[in-house]
Amino acid sequence: MRYLNGMALIAAAALATLSLGACAGQKPGNTAYHDPHPLPPDTLTLPAAEIGSYGGRFVFAATSGPRTFNKLLANEQPSNDIDNLLFVGLTEFDNETQQIFPELAKFWDVSPDQLTWTWHLRRGACFSDGHPITSADVLFMFELAYDPVLHPSLQDLLKSDGKPFQVTAPDSYTVVTKLAAPHPLMAAAVGSLRIMPRHVLEPLYRKGAFASAYGVDTRPDSLVTSGPFRLRQYVPGEKVVLERNPYWIGVDAKGQRLPYLDELVFLIVPDQNTAAIKFQAGEVDAIDNVKPEDYKTYIDGAGGGGYTLHDLGASLSTNFLWFNLNRVREGHGSRRAGEPAVDPTKYRWFANREFRRAVSMAIDRDAMIRGPFHGHGLKNWSAPTVGSKQWGSHGIVGFDYEPEGAKRILDSLGWKDRDGDGVREDDRGHPIRFVIKTNADNLLRVQMLDLIKDDLAKVGIACVPASVEFNTLTTNLRDDFQYDAILLGLGSAVPPDPGMYANFLTSKGIAHYWDIKQDHPATPAEAELDRLYAEVIASSDPAKRMEPWKRIVRTLNDECFVIWLPSQKIMVPVRNRFGNVHPTVIPQRVLWNIDRVFVKQSSTRA
Amino acid sequence: MREPPQAPGRVVWRQLRRNPLAVAGGGMLVAFYALALLAPFIAPYAEDEVDRERFYHPPQRLHLLDASGRFTGLHVRATRLVDASAFRYVETPAPVPVRWFVHGSRYRLLGVFPADRHLFGVDPPQRIYLLGADPLGRDMLSRVLYGARISLTVGLVGIAISFALGLCLGGVSGYFGGWVDAAIMRLTELLLTVPAFYLIIALRAVFPADLPSGQVYLAIVAILALIGWAGLARVIRGMVLSIRRSEFVLAAEALGMSRARVIARHVLPNTVSFVIVAATIAVPGYILGEVFLSFLGVGVQEPSASWGNMLNQARGYRALSSFPWLLFVPGTAIFLTVMAFNFLGDGLRDALDPRRVQGGRIA
Amino acid sequence: MRTFLIRRLLQTVPLLLGISALTFLLLRLAPGDFLATMAENPQISAATLDAMRHRFGLDQPWWVQYGLYLRNLFLRLDFGESFSRHQPVFTVLRQGMLNTLLLTGAAAIVTWGLAIPLGVWAAVRQHRATDRLLSLFAFVGLSVPEVLSGLLLLLMAARTGWFPVGGMRSLDWEELDAAHRVVDVLRHLVLPALVVGLIPLAGRMRQMRSSVLDVLRLDYVTTARAKGLDERTVVFKHAARNALNPLITLFGYTLGSLLSGSFVAEVIFSWPGLGRITVEAIQTQDQYLVMGSVLMASAMLILGNLVADVLLAAADPRIAHA
Repeated sequence: MRYLNGMALIAAAALATLSLGACAGQKPGNTAYHDPHPLPPDTLTLPAAEIGSYGGRFVFAATSGPRTFNKLLANEQPSNDIDNLLFVGLTEFDNETQQIFPELAKFWDVSPDQLTWTWHLRRGACFSDGHPITSADVLFMFELAYDPVLHPSLQDLLKSDGKPFQVTAPDSYTVVTKLAAPHPLMAAAVGSLRIMPRHVLEPLYRKGAFASAYGVDTRPDSLVTSGPFRLRQYVPGEKVVLERNPYWIGVDAKGQRLPYLDELVFLIVPDQNTAAIKFQAGEVDAIDNVKPEDYKTYIDGAGGGGYTLHDLGASLSTNFLWFNLNRVREGHGSRRAGEPAVDPTKYRWFANREFRRAVSMAIDRDAMIRGPFHGHGLKNWSAPTVGSKQWGSHGIVGFDYEPEGAKRILDSLGWKDRDGDGVREDDRGHPIRFVIKTNADNLLRVQMLDLIKDDLAKVGIACVPASVEFNTLTTNLRDDFQYDAILLGLGSAVPPDPGMYANFLTSKGIAHYWDIKQDHPATPAEAELDRLYAEVIASSDPAKRMEPWKRIVRTLNDECFVIWLPSQKIMVPVRNRFGNVHPTVIPQRVLWNIDRVFVKQSSTRA
Repeated sequence: MREPPQAPGRVVWRQLRRNPLAVAGGGMLVAFYALALLAPFIAPYAEDEVDRERFYHPPQRLHLLDASGRFTGLHVRATRLVDASAFRYVETPAPVPVRWFVHGSRYRLLGVFPADRHLFGVDPPQRIYLLGADPLGRDMLSRVLYGARISLTVGLVGIAISFALGLCLGGVSGYFGGWVDAAIMRLTELLLTVPAFYLIIALRAVFPADLPSGQVYLAIVAILALIGWAGLARVIRGMVLSIRRSEFVLAAEALGMSRARVIARHVLPNTVSFVIVAATIAVPGYILGEVFLSFLGVGVQEPSASWGNMLNQARGYRALSSFPWLLFVPGTAIFLTVMAFNFLGDGLRDALDPRRVQGGRIA
Repeated sequence: MRTFLIRRLLQTVPLLLGISALTFLLLRLAPGDFLATMAENPQISAATLDAMRHRFGLDQPWWVQYGLYLRNLFLRLDFGESFSRHQPVFTVLRQGMLNTLLLTGAAAIVTWGLAIPLGVWAAVRQHRATDRLLSLFAFVGLSVPEVLSGLLLLLMAARTGWFPVGGMRSLDWEELDAAHRVVDVLRHLVLPALVVGLIPLAGRMRQMRSSVLDVLRLDYVTTARAKGLDERTVVFKHAARNALNPLITLFGYTLGSLLSGSFVAEVIFSWPGLGRITVEAIQTQDQYLVMGSVLMASAMLILGNLVADVLLAAADPRIAHA
């Protein structure tokens, strides 16, 4: 095993041109901050409602600490929250307008056939050590992204037609990417590749030591960044302190260099209840993962507590239920390859579209919103959800609560309760009974499942709820298919575009849960979905994509391959003494424009 | 004049009766176990009976006089939801009489006899929620009674297994010494550092998903107990090491008593009072252990009720301020049970003091 | 004594080997592996997962993985790397270990520092008001689950402001001088140490009391009293020392479990300790991190038992010659 220790990193730091030690003495609250460096020729004017002033500290409660500061290799949210603030991308997603805008790139040209994209970088942009950012850095990042050994997760996003882009740099501020086929999410994909310092990391990469570079044990002054912030301090398990990057390209409308804040602190508080208590006690300025049951407490305390509970509308995360239609891959024991993974009796029910529709109609979603969601939920019928302004506004509704209709369907199938025990038997006499699993650590889903059990009992279907450990669930739905039905959901994707849901919508996908990784579409409806999906991603023109997208939503709801359940409404509390606070439902909810957040002068600092 | 020797059992019983705390504890436990045994009969509702009109319903008061002061018999009053977002209910004057031996959800008495009579209830669609309702409108009284079945049996099974093993192996280890001692002690060390949490996750995955939660849990606890005997064994061994070299044991050996008899009649009984105190501390340990497992999310799962998972659901800030019964119902149940075990154990310890039983002088 | 120590230390090595094998086996028994949670993210393709699997060595048969692990451990004292943090296991654990030791050490001081004198006091005043009060306190202390006591204390801290609301240090800790830094950590330590130490305190106090009562009835105590020695000497010089015997093994056990047993308090009070890191590692199947943690906890336990045995031999000369 490698045991790269501080030695190599110190050597790397020695290569850095400017030491940052001189700037480390800035104390929070120094409102007399003056920008020590002249502005570069090409600055990035970031939109904000107000012009702010320098100084102050913002404390954000995080559930766990970062696993790495190496943005390319980070795969989990705690790391991404911080690493996104440390490194800049060619483009960025504006959560407010839900549009891509140019960040490190000043502008870009697209050839008429959409196969050649030319990116023009801002001149004079520098890393946090003063070293200029040029196209060589961008080229290096592409090289890292396509490395077969490192194989970072975004490598797949940066391919067109399965092939990597051809990337060249004609001069120091121009990068040309050539594609094999049009890529509808090109701007977003390229933006997700954030720029890390080549002058520090290339020597490490050539030695094969990139994977352990910029880990959490990196000394702050040797961590060279390109984003609005740089690392000041990391105390494992306790906090991460970021300070302003004096070379950040972003400026406000008056031309003052951003960020305004002197310090941004991520306080690590693993327990949600403790975080809530800390917020009420004034130790924390914003929290992102408040439970719906706690919203009322925040609403009641907002006036006296000096904070606002921002209502962000429906979450981009989904909840849904599906039945196991997977087939056995390799025969073993009594099962031959190609047979359904579940009991054949149950498979007959699950494969019947009318049955699935009846189940969807049996579920009282309003009661779910009233109860487990404490009223803070919205019915949802697609992924991306209604939270996406563009893609969630289709207005299509699936099979909602209509228990009499459900009973009629089941009666018409000949599935009646003949022995009077309250459970229907199918046409072969088997009682309709199956197990629905969900992950035990999500209380909301567990409660939804309890209500579903009661709903189904009312129409004569017996379902047994089972809460299992998350890892077991993942193995079930990916490897061994040992389940009848599962209640789960998908997390949010940024940007919330159908193109990000290939794995879910297409029959080959690994997130096409009810029947994953099909070689050929198993049903005509799924073949239709594949076709429609190809249409959606074939163009970058939103008008052309909307029609096939609506048909996808309609088809999915008609078939009830997944039975949609409500999504939660998101509310986020933030202290009032900060300006330019615009939380959005898209992650990162509070931090997406933190470089424009400032402490309002009239209030006293904590 | 010497007292005639009395049967040790009767002496213990008399001693115990003199201790008011022990009697109280013992009585409380007998009552709890009886309630747990008869839970389906005493509980007005099943543990998973959802009521979507009564999420977070507060406990209802019993009244004898109606709103205008007339005697109406035992009744509760119907309630109305006035604030949906805050789940606030107010009492209306309408009386809902309490009925006895009503028909209700079906169950099997003692697991065998099908029945559907419950001790008390009210005419549907009204409900009687004496201890309030949980977030899904399920009756807390019913749930705490059903939960008792799990929490109370877990402790007994746990100590039965772990103590049997611990006493045997600890005694043998301390008495024989040598390589037997070394082997057993190394085994206990090995077991004491096995990550039990991980074992639980692995084993949980092995059992079929639709096995009743309670049975899965008993299995898990049995396994925990199999790991748990190690701690007791070590302590017993320490005590045995000391006692073994004491004069009266040496004398017994000199007299030619067989090793087994020496252990059984001289060594082990001297450890008894310590073991009893340890046992009474251990049973609550299993009950609290179940709470810990629910905290980790691997205990008894929904919709089955256990005191641990009821407590865990009520952990939030909101629960404590707006719906305190969610916390205090299981919390008090746990608290009282554990205290009762401790009182009883302490009384037993005093009553089992060997000096008293043998009629010796008390210093 | 010396041969005894050497023999025990030599026995340690195969024991640790056994523990590592057992832990590895259990890790393998559980369904899935580290990449299972990663696989949940629909944006991560199968190819990426395969590459990760290869990089972590998870695509190799279990005996190869275990063999490599042992080889690195013995040849280079390398505990392997944590999958999720891309850092050497020892580095990850070291940070949490010291914090946990601080917490459990403080709790142990609370427990034993109070349990012994209170237990003796209760025994000496048996059945009188003091004893009843102390017993009541013990019963209450034993009956409240850590989850509940932690939450209530945290709420109390929030409402009254007397104590910090969780964490180990204040945000401005770096700006304090040395003396204030110590005080700051101590202030943060009080509530979690109370939560961790309360149940053991109650238990040990009761056991001490019962043990002292046992000893006070023995003949040599009667003899000492008959000899005219005052009660104080009887209790402290003769009775108490022997009463400690059964508790010595328990003390060794406390010592041995310093690196575990504080998980609940660590989560509720956001104490940055080992418990959280380990549980997270177990849940995500970060296998070398789990093994490193278990091995360290095991080593601690073995040390604790050794100390207990040495103390036992020192207290009771009859055993040393066994």
